[in-house]
Amino acid sequence: MKKTVNMVIRHIFLAFLAFVWLIPIVWLLATSFSSYKGINTMHFFPTEWSLDNYMQLFFRPDTVANFPAWFRNSMIIGVFSCIISTMFVLMVAYSMSCMRFNGRKAVMSFAIILGMFPGVLSMIAVYFVMKLIGLSNSLVGLIVIYSAGSGLGYLICKGFFDTIPVSLRESAKLEGANELIIFSKIVIPLSKPIIVYTVINSFLAPWMDFVMAKLMIRSKDPGDWTVAMGLFNLVQRTLVGDYFSVFCAGGIIVAIPISVLFVVMQRFYVEGITGGAVKG
Amino acid sequence: MKKVLDALKKYFADFFTSIRKGDIWTKLSLIIMGSGYIARKQIIKGILITAIEVFFFAFTLGFSLEYISKLNTLGTVQREEKLDLTTLTKTVNDYDNSLLILLCGVIGILFIVAFILLYISNIKKVYEVQVFAEKGKHINTFREDVKELVGSKFHITLLTLPSLGVIIMNIIPIIFMICIAFTNYDMDHQPPTYLFTWVGLDNFKNLFTSTSTITFGYAFVRILIWTLIWAFLATFTTYFGGILLAKFINDRKTKCKKLWRTLFVVTIAIPQFVTLLLVGKMFSDYGIVNSICNKIGLTAFLQDIGLVSRGLSYIPFLSKPGWIHVMVVLINIWVGVPYQMLSATGILMNIPEDQLESAKIDGATEMQIFWKITMPYMLFVTGPSLITAFIANINNFNVIYLLTNDYVTTNMKFANSNAKEADLLITWLFTLTNDYSNYKMASVIGICVFVICAVLTLISFSRMIAGNKEEEFQ
Repeated sequence: MKKTVNMVIRHIFLAFLAFVWLIPIVWLLATSFSSYKGINTMHFFPTEWSLDNYMQLFFRPDTVANFPAWFRNSMIIGVFSCIISTMFVLMVAYSMSCMRFNGRKAVMSFAIILGMFPGVLSMIAVYFVMKLIGLSNSLVGLIVIYSAGSGLGYLICKGFFDTIPVSLRESAKLEGANELIIFSKIVIPLSKPIIVYTVINSFLAPWMDFVMAKLMIRSKDPGDWTVAMGLFNLVQRTLVGDYFSVFCAGGIIVAIPISVLFVVMQRFYVEGITGGAVKG
Repeated sequence: MKKVLDALKKYFADFFTSIRKGDIWTKLSLIIMGSGYIARKQIIKGILITAIEVFFFAFTLGFSLEYISKLNTLGTVQREEKLDLTTLTKTVNDYDNSLLILLCGVIGILFIVAFILLYISNIKKVYEVQVFAEKGKHINTFREDVKELVGSKFHITLLTLPSLGVIIMNIIPIIFMICIAFTNYDMDHQPPTYLFTWVGLDNFKNLFTSTSTITFGYAFVRILIWTLIWAFLATFTTYFGGILLAKFINDRKTKCKKLWRTLFVVTIAIPQFVTLLLVGKMFSDYGIVNSICNKIGLTAFLQDIGLVSRGLSYIPFLSKPGWIHVMVVLINIWVGVPYQMLSATGILMNIPEDQLESAKIDGATEMQIFWKITMPYMLFVTGPSLITAFIANINNFNVIYLLTNDYVTTNMKFANSNAKEADLLITWLFTLTNDYSNYKMASVIGICVFVICAVLTLISFSRMIAGNKEEEFQ
């Protein structure tokens, strides 16, 4: 008897927690189907349901909300910087983990020191540098910003590579394989979890970031913005009254690529984190 | 320290022996860098090196020298526009742009440093090749050199592009911003219209003074303390919250584990900037939470016990100091716990099952097992990442900025230095640069953040790099 009561209490407690965690999400979902455009402060659920917000999002871009263009821009930035950053991270991690060369430790310590400077500090300087090269205000510039410095985030990946048995690499070397072959044919196929982890992270960072984009893209034309910038703009004081439920609909749409990534790769994701983390 | 000095000594000693003992070709390489290689039939390599040399001198003499020579003053000629009344065209004089001088000067100096390093190592290489030739050893052909780039020198191939990226995106900006901390670059000194110049340590002094006009000292101390408190609370609440939740869900007595986990993970799927802005709107003064609290009488109750002043018809969740501090931490728990839960789940599953079993057989209670086996294991695995998380929270821009976006401070001392009670150093820095163009103070604050993070990181990573643990699992 006591056991069943315990069970029930345990599940009620969990349900309560889940309820708390889901309230904002449910509100987001509900509001996105509301026919009232502003913030409904009196009722949790909308009084009238409609699909109009999604229609407006996709088919009626106006001077402030041009969601198709935002989505396209963000997608381009996300995919390209994801590819470049993943390559950079894997390259750096391989050289730090599997190669032995002069100055390796010095480079590693230096990378850690560099990583300690707050990113926000150098943001404005990054803007000046990009302006000097002539890449400010463009998608290419943002891709460069998100991916160029990504080599510094190699530590977790290196931790994973460190756990790949050295005998595998040595036997390949005895068979006459050079480092390029070992890297591409042995280490990479063995590192699926950590590659998945890196891919997810390096796609999500530009997908969710808005500070850097806001700083870098000074264009007033919404067609040049990213999703994050555009949505942030919709809840500013002057617009929130007319666009809040559109913002909610946008938030739901933005979550779709992320959810797909998560569902496909969730198993790897957990493995990936811990595989690297065990090394600390 | 002595090791570093010895290494430096050897570095230069090698250089000078190379010059002294080098033959005519090696000595000629002092002027034409590739000549030593060309003499030993490494023609392509020789031409490439010489081309780099020519490019460097063309770049420095033709472009960056002009800026480097002005670095000491950062420019003297201010921009002036003259309106020619007869033709009505504007003419602008040949003015100096301090920003461009500083940026190009830094880049130019980096080029020179890189070239000197290349120059020294080049002479050593040339001498090495000379010794090889004298001893009749095999000298690599160009084809063999290229082959080495995917063999024993593969790291050079791999690291070139990433390091270039880091230099452009991290190193140059950081050096540049450190320099800014010693200038008077702010709202009143904005290029190209105005010049800015070096002011030494004045900005650092400003950061620690608080008078009636300069309140940076007042704001800095309070924001620093709040940043540390925030980082501590945010790290530990989400850390323990995540572990407890993961433990609770993974417990044998819990049914439908996958369902519960998914329910919490759903919150991760929605990007932070969306959920934070949304939650910010929910808790705003006339938001939905307030209207619900009003309906069920919570507002009146809080007024009765004195937590909310009588003059307000709402609970000032995100609009009064104190309230906002608590709310930010609570909302951060909401944001952070699912992430922690996810990674803690993986680690919890790795706990050796036999340890838990034997503890149970010996009669340990659930609590004992948790505190004596689970927690020590978790701490062992995630200890270093705890400090990383602490640093990440010091720099947790999103949560604070998005939630306190609409907050307006009423404290004049904070307002004078463009700060808010709930600001972290990092958001303060951002506001200073983005809204007030006060780059000099922002750089100074940035350096302070760096020092704090550096101390903490040194503590956590010295263990990892100093101890030779990386090969343990191979």
